[in-house]
Amino acid sequence: MNLPSHSSDHEDTEVRTLSNEARAIIDASTRGPVLLFLGSSIFWLVIGSLLKLLADWQLTIPALMDCAALFTYGRTEPAQSNVMIYGWASTAAFGTGLWVTARLSRIPLLHSKLLISAGIIWNLGVMLGTAGILIGDGNAIPGLDFPGYASPILLIAYSLIATWIIITLNYREPGPLYVSQWFLFAGFLCFPWLYATANVLLVWNPIQASAQGPIACWFLENLTNLWLAPVAIGTIFYIVPKVISRPIASPSLSVLGFWTLIVFASWTGLSNLVGGPVPAWMMSAGVAASIMAIIPVLSIVLNLHLTLHGNYAAMSWSPTLRFTVFGLYGFLFSGVLATLLALPAFNAVLQFSDVIAGASLLSLYGFVSMTFFGAIYYIVPRLINAEWPCVQLIRWHFWFALSGLLLAFSCLLLGGLLQGFSQYDVASTFRSSIEFVAPFRLMTALSTGLLVLAHLSFALLFVLMLLKTGKSQSGPALLNEPTENSLETLAV
Amino acid sequence: MNKLPLLFTGILIAFGASWLGLVAYPVSNLGHLQPLDDEDTAGYFPPSVSGLAVAGQKVYASAGCVYCHSQQVRLDPTSTDIAKKLGVRQTVPRDYIREKTAFLGKRRIGQDLSNVGARISDANALHQYLYEPATVTPWGKMPSYRYLYKTTKVVSQPSADAIQGLKGPHAPPAGYEVIPTEDAKALVAYLLSLNKNYPLPESPEPTAK
Repeated sequence: MNLPSHSSDHEDTEVRTLSNEARAIIDASTRGPVLLFLGSSIFWLVIGSLLKLLADWQLTIPALMDCAALFTYGRTEPAQSNVMIYGWASTAAFGTGLWVTARLSRIPLLHSKLLISAGIIWNLGVMLGTAGILIGDGNAIPGLDFPGYASPILLIAYSLIATWIIITLNYREPGPLYVSQWFLFAGFLCFPWLYATANVLLVWNPIQASAQGPIACWFLENLTNLWLAPVAIGTIFYIVPKVISRPIASPSLSVLGFWTLIVFASWTGLSNLVGGPVPAWMMSAGVAASIMAIIPVLSIVLNLHLTLHGNYAAMSWSPTLRFTVFGLYGFLFSGVLATLLALPAFNAVLQFSDVIAGASLLSLYGFVSMTFFGAIYYIVPRLINAEWPCVQLIRWHFWFALSGLLLAFSCLLLGGLLQGFSQYDVASTFRSSIEFVAPFRLMTALSTGLLVLAHLSFALLFVLMLLKTGKSQSGPALLNEPTENSLETLAV
Repeated sequence: MNKLPLLFTGILIAFGASWLGLVAYPVSNLGHLQPLDDEDTAGYFPPSVSGLAVAGQKVYASAGCVYCHSQQVRLDPTSTDIAKKLGVRQTVPRDYIREKTAFLGKRRIGQDLSNVGARISDANALHQYLYEPATVTPWGKMPSYRYLYKTTKVVSQPSADAIQGLKGPHAPPAGYEVIPTEDAKALVAYLLSLNKNYPLPESPEPTAK
């Protein structure tokens, strides 16, 4: 890996400021499509978490709604996870990615009306795919359940969106690329590659099932590692320096984090198939890559920690920073957990336990969702020139989300450990593994209820915001009064 | 890092490496496996399955069974799958050549099904379990798949297909019987076909300890 010289250090690490007029023109061009993407992502977030609530309760009460084929666990579970990935996280990634790209490229989006149609097509695709899963057309491939008639719609909408991102990056105002732009570019390149490969080989014209295992693992793991994660990290690299008005601490760590993420994280999928029906070298490569994948996690988090150092206090009043920093530490913990789970000793015991569900909750919710929440709190006021109307709803959103996440994760972790050891122990019956984990699953289902409350508060807040009830407010919506010794001008 | 084409090339190479290793390699090396001849019985391993069982794979996918049931017996002795009698040997790629989708699974909320056909050979028992799992295993977490069955009035004489021995809250009242739909029959045929107790040279049975 060659580290480039840093003759242009200053420009590389700092988000350059724009004049107010230029900013207004850019924001006017992104307003329609970005609000459409963010608004529909919040809609899917609510739908997805309601489906998740149902699925989680069904693990405690199996008879719940088993009279309707539409709502049996085998359909609500894939429906909720695909709605969360494609409806919520990916749609929020489009909105955030477009906005950050336009701001950093310092040019307005051209013909942004076409992007609105892309957004509508994407949402129709998600709707059709979700309905397809519920009526029983799902593919039964985790993360790739949308039936073969819905995925082409998503790819068509996606190619429009990605074209805009890449055109905007290419015609940017001349200057170096900022670290956020590397990550966004990587994410927007890898997604179509992943999604098209997986659909061609596993759904549209499936290859022999003997070869499907590695491909399904490669797809599912990279959907997070090389699509959602890069967009979320790129967003954190934009928002943190903006909110605290400080440049990124270390350009070298940025370069290290970026390339090691792409090189190592792309191979980690096979650590989920240790001992399974795949060639031995693939398992070894997966385990080795998962261990190496701790490097990008640590270098990215360390870099942002050094940037934030001394400014963590701003989390107490800035909702943007509060969610974003929790997202950053969600990235740290989910990265460490993924590495631990790949170690053969842990893997043999925990591979099929609830700990795996906890790990994916931590990465999809603790990291990706928290980051996009922060981004939405930052972006929307700038698009509609109004402040968030109700601080109480922001508090509810944050505390319900955080407590729901921590509680659900702890239950899945503890219950999953008991379940895993019971499944591993030759003397223990399968029945005891079910009975050990049952009370923890009940607690998980209850904490999913907290997440639903968080998302309802957030959705209500967003609707109030669109109705511009906060217009009369004089200053930004702060969670607490900034402390007196803080001299920074804050962008909330 | 300041030129888009350079960044593009770098990502292409780095991500392309994983694509070559984890997608192109399996497609060319594992995507065209053939069944092996069996010298003793002049049959093939893995044995071919009935058309009904193939149709059952679609029902298995559509019902989302894979979200609770894995279909892989892992390596011994790293895992205890074989000691726990999920199968007599590790599953290998060739075991899956009769499937349309490899239902490897991510969680074991229910039992592993790689060899369910070796444990259960009675179709009626499987139908009963799918219809009223909570009556058979009250501690289990499987929902009822009643939507795959029809309760109909007995006309003149009982149907040969009717499920015997139902005793839970959804058991048919007197004069009625529960008949499996075509989907239910296909699903049960598929489950009964899941039996990997045939030998494969690449996956020897571990010697007894």
